[in-house]
Amino acid sequence: MPALERMVQFTGERHRLLTHNIANLSTPRFRPHDLNVDEFRASLRDAIGRRRATRRPLDGELTPRDTAGIRFSANGLDTRPRDAGRNILFHDQNNRDLERTMQDLAENTLTHQVSIELLRSEFDILKTAIRERV
Amino acid sequence: MYGSLDVSTSALVAQRTRMHTVAANMANANSIYDADGNYSPYQRRVAVFAPGDPARGSDAGVHVREILLDDAPFRRVHEPGHPEADEAGYVMYPNVDPMMEQVNALDASRAYEANITAAEATKMMIRTSLKLLA
Repeated sequence: MPALERMVQFTGERHRLLTHNIANLSTPRFRPHDLNVDEFRASLRDAIGRRRATRRPLDGELTPRDTAGIRFSANGLDTRPRDAGRNILFHDQNNRDLERTMQDLAENTLTHQVSIELLRSEFDILKTAIRERV
Repeated sequence: MYGSLDVSTSALVAQRTRMHTVAANMANANSIYDADGNYSPYQRRVAVFAPGDPARGSDAGVHVREILLDDAPFRRVHEPGHPEADEAGYVMYPNVDPMMEQVNALDASRAYEANITAAEATKMMIRTSLKLLA
């Protein structure tokens, strides 16, 4: 469950950045920013791997290590977005990449939804266990 | 996550303002007199965006920084019989290029749609998250 919680926090933060990038599609000299998904994924994978090696591999504490762009705290994430400079500069010095940004938005939204659905099923299991009835 | 909706809304407002300037330019493509009836060809307007949303006091989002007057030279049309023609028989017409305005209108419309999609994604994420409580 803590891994899903981190996923929801990350996708929420990234969504805020992506909407800001989309809002500034026509802003001169604007440079889009994004979070490094691979970095986050690697940190989470590493934390899950380390937890598996402990005596409580399933419900132990999950402690992802901070990365260059993400600082993990008990209540959330502190992010330092990086320049998402992956496109040629437009004449107005804007570095937009609409199609790629919309793809990122769709992927991020789906990841968020899947994480929430999985969390929901975890909660349902807990509820069933608490009620002691199937 | 509600902040992301504000970001998309700020962009919708900015793009609508941009569309208004385009519509005003197109409507006045042949206006050579001002509102008081004086000979003064209409000067093309351009909406310039900047990041941030001062209305909410936030760094996220976008706003119209100013409506610039285009300094490009007016169109010179040879109409010797026109009451406003100069000694050489030329009349100054607005510096509005309908083709350019069409392209701007398309760009604004595309950006508007992208922001609607972002707002829809935000709404979907909020709805999914709220399901956790129900």
